[in-house]
Amino acid sequence: MARRLDAALELLDRQLVDKDGRLAGKVDDLELTDPGDGLEQPRVTAILTGPDALAGRLHTRFGRWLQGVVLRLLARQGPARVPLEQVQAIGSSIELRVAAGRLDTGQGWARRLIGRLPGAGEGDAAQ
Amino acid sequence: MRKLLEIALGILTAIGGFVDIGDLVASTETGARFGLGLAWVLLVGVVGIVIYAEMAGRVASVSGRAVFDLVRERLGAGAGLLNLAASFFITLLTLAAEIGGVALSLQLATSVNYLLFVPVVGFLVWLVCWRVRFELMDNAVGLLGLALIVVAVAVWRAHPDWGAMLHSATHPVVPTTESHAAYWYFAIALLGSAMTPYEVFFFSSGAVEQRWTRSDLLVNRLNVYIGFPLGGLLALALMVAAALVLEPLGIDPSHLSQAALPTSLVLGRLGLALALLGFFACTFGASLETALSCGYSIAQYFGWQWGKFVKPAQAPRFQLAVLVSIALGVGLVLTTLDPVQITEYAIVLSAAALPLTYLPLLIVANDPAYLGGKVNSRLSNAIASLFLVVLVLASVATIPLMIASKAGGG
Repeated sequence: MARRLDAALELLDRQLVDKDGRLAGKVDDLELTDPGDGLEQPRVTAILTGPDALAGRLHTRFGRWLQGVVLRLLARQGPARVPLEQVQAIGSSIELRVAAGRLDTGQGWARRLIGRLPGAGEGDAAQ
Repeated sequence: MRKLLEIALGILTAIGGFVDIGDLVASTETGARFGLGLAWVLLVGVVGIVIYAEMAGRVASVSGRAVFDLVRERLGAGAGLLNLAASFFITLLTLAAEIGGVALSLQLATSVNYLLFVPVVGFLVWLVCWRVRFELMDNAVGLLGLALIVVAVAVWRAHPDWGAMLHSATHPVVPTTESHAAYWYFAIALLGSAMTPYEVFFFSSGAVEQRWTRSDLLVNRLNVYIGFPLGGLLALALMVAAALVLEPLGIDPSHLSQAALPTSLVLGRLGLALALLGFFACTFGASLETALSCGYSIAQYFGWQWGKFVKPAQAPRFQLAVLVSIALGVGLVLTTLDPVQITEYAIVLSAAALPLTYLPLLIVANDPAYLGGKVNSRLSNAIASLFLVVLVLASVATIPLMIASKAGGG
């Protein structure tokens, strides 16, 4: 279903909420696809999220440096990609049809660190 | 009945939680140096925080979005990141000042050097952030903070000349011993102490933590409209006490003990004990609020799961941010920098950064996509816009005044 909205205003930098109501990152960047017929404007086909997507959008030397550091530190394969078909609703937050655990937003390392402290509740944490 | 209790508890918590190290230092210092000549700024600051905190609470209750969510959405990734850096730095500085304030209160009670308490206080702050339920934490420190009412009792028992006080508050003059630059510098410091950005970060995130919805809008209003002004009265009591006791003695307060001096002179040991309990509770409570606010602002900017309503393992980056912030705050105090001076810089820089927080909030509070029919009324928009002008002016004037008055020194 094609829908017309101001991607910069209504999509970018909004909160992602997964199907279980967990906070799952921000809309850090958008994937645009050009239909290629030279007539239609490019379409948003996916939401990109994660520190690498964010750093890539800063368009400064600092942003590029940050991107390099983040990629190396977190050993990421690139930003997490959420195809638009997996978006349930667009409002003050973007509700997804997937679980946050399915997206690699780079929190594994923090989880391992914090999970070691007593009382972190790692045992019954579902992801 | 339950709702009524909840409302009463919320108001009491808001009163006790209003004062923090910034108010203790700024109110006492301005009272001692300028008498009641700056009391009007306290009134302005309270009206400002009431207007904007109500907005923050309303947006959070209706849309579930806390303040730094909005900052990122309205300012975008780049400007939002700069805002995050500035806000985080100031909140961290405030956290360090609050931890120092807790340690100084303990020193006043035990005569043991405050630096020895700092790591213990840091650990306790972390432990509460890590384990204690949000409502319990919020209510307990807020209610303990009510011990500060003793300062107001001391003012009343000192039998001041109320008419003369009202006159000096309504006809402010710069004392002959003070420069105009110092007067306006302290005006900005007072404004910063009343409207510190972490207060709205914490208030709005707290609304989400307590799962406020549309049906809690009344609780939000009453908390803010009744609780904050009454809390502001406690800050005013500190100022009046200092004006009555310290100004005639020519004491320029540079230590927390001087904030308790008027109360102990008027009410004796019991008064002193209660004042110290109040100092301890309000700085400890604010340590928790600032530590959590450090985590809230970072997590909300990046969209990470945050909050005490989930297990720490489900919000690992938020918990890590809180932990690291507390460690940094403790480290800063352990450098032996004077906590009172850290406080002074924290509130003045807060004042300079106020528009960064309040502008995005004002924009969103007018957006029906977030609030439906609950957008700002015309009256609150008029007042809030006027305030924004004041905040921008204060922000622009801060650094020049800091230089001209040698950071209030003379």
